[in-house]
Amino acid sequence: MTTSNATSSTPSSGGGNPLVVLDPTAGKSAADLQPAPRPASLSGLTVGLLDISKPRGSVFLDQIESHLDRLGAKVVRYRKPTFTKPAPVDLRHEIAVNCNAVIEALAD
Amino acid sequence: MGNPAGAGVDVTRQEPARRPPLPDGLIAVVKRDCPTCQLIVPVLEQLAETGPLTVYTQDDPAFPESVSPTDDTRLAFSWHHDIETVPTLILAKGGNEEDRTVGWSRPHWEMLTGVDQLGAGLPEFRPGCGSLSVDPSLSTELAVRFGGSVLQSRRVELARLEDPFEAAFDRGWTDGLPVVPPTEARVMAMLEGSSRSAADLVAEIPPDLHPATVEQIAINAVMAGCKPEYFPVVLAAVEAACTTEFNMHGLLATTYFSGPVLVVNGPVTKRLDMNSGSNAFGQGNRANLTIGRALQLVVRNLGGGRPGEVDMAMLGSPGKLSFCFAEREHDSPFSSLAVERGFAADADTVTVFAGSGPTAIVDQISRTPESLVRSFAVCLRSTGHPKLARAFDAMLVVSPEHARIFAQAGWDKDRLRAELDSLLTIPGVEMVRGVDGISEGLPEVPADGKVAKFRPGGLQIVHAGGEAGLFSAILDGWVGGDIGSEPVTVEIQP
Amino acid sequence: MASDVFVDAADAQGDALGFQPERVFVQHPIQDRTDDEMVALADQAVDALVRSICGS
Repeated sequence: MTTSNATSSTPSSGGGNPLVVLDPTAGKSAADLQPAPRPASLSGLTVGLLDISKPRGSVFLDQIESHLDRLGAKVVRYRKPTFTKPAPVDLRHEIAVNCNAVIEALAD
Repeated sequence: MGNPAGAGVDVTRQEPARRPPLPDGLIAVVKRDCPTCQLIVPVLEQLAETGPLTVYTQDDPAFPESVSPTDDTRLAFSWHHDIETVPTLILAKGGNEEDRTVGWSRPHWEMLTGVDQLGAGLPEFRPGCGSLSVDPSLSTELAVRFGGSVLQSRRVELARLEDPFEAAFDRGWTDGLPVVPPTEARVMAMLEGSSRSAADLVAEIPPDLHPATVEQIAINAVMAGCKPEYFPVVLAAVEAACTTEFNMHGLLATTYFSGPVLVVNGPVTKRLDMNSGSNAFGQGNRANLTIGRALQLVVRNLGGGRPGEVDMAMLGSPGKLSFCFAEREHDSPFSSLAVERGFAADADTVTVFAGSGPTAIVDQISRTPESLVRSFAVCLRSTGHPKLARAFDAMLVVSPEHARIFAQAGWDKDRLRAELDSLLTIPGVEMVRGVDGISEGLPEVPADGKVAKFRPGGLQIVHAGGEAGLFSAILDGWVGGDIGSEPVTVEIQP
Repeated sequence: MASDVFVDAADAQGDALGFQPERVFVQHPIQDRTDDEMVALADQAVDALVRSICGS
């Protein structure tokens, strides 16, 4: 019946606090990061457009979206909460899971 | 463009590592959920009138209202000042603790405070309650919150929808089986298993020769499923495997079958409940399996040694997931591997041997040592190839039923070894290439006509296995000596 | 996608992270552009964008 806010953290998958683990490796080497294979065409491809939230960027991306749509891609729009920090890890995960390709724009 | 968006997010969630300072005067630490703390509220009110009094409250910042409590619901003050009981009363001067007392006891409180007639109407004494800062359900969380800053490794924040087990597979951290997610709390608990500091350098891990710290090895030991008490064995195994003599790099890069096999000797095997008996090479024993696995994960994750890259094994062996057992010492007629290699009988050691296997030696008929040793020799002759000599090392694992036959005839290990050496000195003419229609073999007959199957020191002998089974075993070894691998024994540091 | 003042910064960032993503640059500046100008920049960039995704 204590009202302590010192909660015990139970590692959970899905819901609750995100799990933090320690990196068991010596650190990523450049050799590990290879670009994914290129798709043959845009037709049927799910392309994420990630707006980094700088002003004017959304107008640009609206036009890009209409081009990609015309070329047969399925466009999904995303938005970073702020351009001053890296995209939140949950947003990155969602994009990685749902999209075949992602365009991040527009930095200036 | 802003900060680099690395593959992991650096999460700094530790509270300041500095101890909160002690205010001068009297300090009381209480919690509302404690009958004794509630009982002594009038005493605190009394003391607040006589001099400086700071009251820290662990659960309800509004308790006790009359003495303007300081909120310690994050437990920083309590944890850093080792509060185990509430109420605790401390006398401090110049930032230093001069005295403390726990629970309520009129004589102790009066002596500490120098104030007479405290708590009129209260009983003489009343024991306190457990402090929240030592509550077992909070201890690992608090250790991370206040002590987690010792951890230097990069934090990786997993997405809420990411399954932590799949996340490890996706990042290439596993040996093909799921690993235990290495949370800060688990790694801190693992570090408690050894007296070594988290930042201590243990070894350079081949093939990348990454200098691995105790902390980095702890992360992999957590992933392997080790308990903290296994951790010193893991550290010793890593040290042994990364010596120049053992040649882990060469062992990894070979197309041959072998991997590091760990043999543990000493009282530690009983303390950790390791298996030296029935099914010692098989499944079921957590210590055997997780210690062996931890070494392999270290080589993979810290050393960069992975199948398909540096690891070129043609087939490899299931033992490359984990191969670790305890020698069966308690009823062995032979001196142990550790003793034979120069360590005390009560020393805790781990020996790493480049091997794979086992292959069977079946002998259910021999009743004499003379006959049984010949069975051993004829099977040992075939390791690698019957016509190859001085090519590979081996480890002979003598089972209890077979060992009894030697023991009953008074044969010790030296006698067994001498007989094997003699029987394994083979006429060269039988071994030469082309003999028996087999192209493989020795390039030429040696001058004195005979050749020893194993190089000096190339045959290890240990005792292990369950009570029933008239079989012994051979663990095929890799190339021995300077051009290959030499077994290495390291004493386990607590 | 970035404006063309970021060419060098993009290289440096790629080096630091150990990965060089595909990139398409548009003419700087951006902040004072009209909507029509932004649409025109997008029209000019789209071919290069499609080539980055699908390979040439």
